[in-house]
Amino acid sequence: MATAALLPVRAGTSPATESSGLSFPPVPPPPGGGAAVPGGWGLATLRPASRPSPGTVRQPAGPHPRSMEAFVNFTNQTRGRDRLFRATQYTCMLLSYLLERKTDKGMVIVKLKELESSMRFGRKLFRLGNMVHAMVAVRRTSQLPDLVLRLCLTASNFSRGLYFICDTVLWVKSVGLILDVDKQKWRNWATKCYYYSLLMNLARDVYEISWRMEKVAHKEENSSCCDEQDQDQICIDSEGLQPFLLLLYDTLRKNPPLLLDTMKNLCDLSSPLDRLGIYKTNPGVIGFCGLLSSLVGILTVASPQMKLKH
Amino acid sequence: MDSWVRFSAQSQAKERVFRAAQYACTLLGYTLQKNGVSPEFLTRIKQLEAHMSLGRKLFRLGNSADALESAKRAIHLSDVVLRFCVTVSNLNRAMYFACDNILWAGKSGLVPHMDQEKWSQRSFRYYLFALIMNLSRDAYEIRLLMEREAGGKRPKSTETRHAHRADSGLQQLMLRLKVQLYLLGHVLRNNPPLLVDVVKNACDLFIPLDKLGLYKTNPGFVGLCGLTSSVLSILTIVHPWLKLKP
Repeated sequence: MATAALLPVRAGTSPATESSGLSFPPVPPPPGGGAAVPGGWGLATLRPASRPSPGTVRQPAGPHPRSMEAFVNFTNQTRGRDRLFRATQYTCMLLSYLLERKTDKGMVIVKLKELESSMRFGRKLFRLGNMVHAMVAVRRTSQLPDLVLRLCLTASNFSRGLYFICDTVLWVKSVGLILDVDKQKWRNWATKCYYYSLLMNLARDVYEISWRMEKVAHKEENSSCCDEQDQDQICIDSEGLQPFLLLLYDTLRKNPPLLLDTMKNLCDLSSPLDRLGIYKTNPGVIGFCGLLSSLVGILTVASPQMKLKH
Repeated sequence: MDSWVRFSAQSQAKERVFRAAQYACTLLGYTLQKNGVSPEFLTRIKQLEAHMSLGRKLFRLGNSADALESAKRAIHLSDVVLRFCVTVSNLNRAMYFACDNILWAGKSGLVPHMDQEKWSQRSFRYYLFALIMNLSRDAYEIRLLMEREAGGKRPKSTETRHAHRADSGLQQLMLRLKVQLYLLGHVLRNNPPLLVDVVKNACDLFIPLDKLGLYKTNPGFVGLCGLTSSVLSILTIVHPWLKLKP
């Protein structure tokens, strides 16, 4: 069977570009610092021109190092900071698992577990308003022109919203504001909602991949790709799994945001699968997957072009 | 809804919301204690306040870099007084955050045998110095603006003419004071960012003063000051034009 036959045929534009007008509003730049803003209130507007205003900044002579500035800009975003703490949390989980067998590392393990729980608690606190984000995302994605994308992303964001609600209830319980809450039941619900959200995200990724593979396949069919001189081209007329995998590899290689998103969602899947008892693993695997997913998350916050747009 | 998403996407904004909640708990706890509410409910409020405090400490972990970056920027200001005040304030803020990070490590159990009281005092001392520098900067800005206003209005001012005619020294002093207060009111009314910054720093000042035992107040007053300051901070994030530049 030809590889091209495996792919669903769908004409039209890419689902990623169809909805380019529906991206989230940009995060305003972090407040503080910098020179006086022209037209704003301040001494610059009220002082004679002959005297330099206190708000005037003298430019430094040499080149200005940008690494600290980049870090400041990154941590000024809630998502950036959350990803850093998430990475720390899963690093602690992974390290405590790796050191568990070593008898002399008992104190280190205790500290790692304390740090992990501290990070988990802090992140829970700072996720309190995120259900609003999810609901706004639901409202946006429900207007997408592509039916499959609309379904996947709306369902994913809705599940994420429900997950945040369950998470809030769990936080309220942990703080001690409400005592009569079945913690296990709510945790199970939260995990289920998170799991469904990830499944919908993965369905969306599969849809995007299949669409792009189909596009590549058609392009290569039209330009009669089986040219022995061209080493970079992939021949799709041949049968079997190998050409399909080659085409998949080529598609993901040309679309880093799609590759990162798929990888992130697959890594994230390990935690709810384990917690729901669907596929039991160990804290080491969960820690490693969580760390990998967090690093991808950090990358998408630091380089927004790496984030998959809907 | 969209504005909340934009607002809470900034970590500083979210931190301010939790700061407001923390001080609201302090104020609420004090008020309820006065009204003789059940100890169980009071414990819950205090527990929530402690959780908020610890959560905020965690979320402020990277802020030393932010303060140092601001100090680095402030060094290049052309005005000597502003340069000094803003740079020193930011350096003190960086030190405060560093002490706060150590305090967080102690409270979360990472550094168990740590003198938390000592580090708390140290962090509040740096916070106090930062606020004093901020208030000095505000006073300098106000003085410059008042001079500018007085310079522009002196020939027309009837109050100053009356002040010269006044026989009594006390009366003259009172009139001069009245003119100064009028000028101050006028300057602050015409410069909302400056007014907001002054009120915010003045409110914040009572927190370290109380914690360091320099000027003891009650938790209710500290809570009210903290809440007011947090609300004003939130306001400057929602409306960036209300933030005093630089």
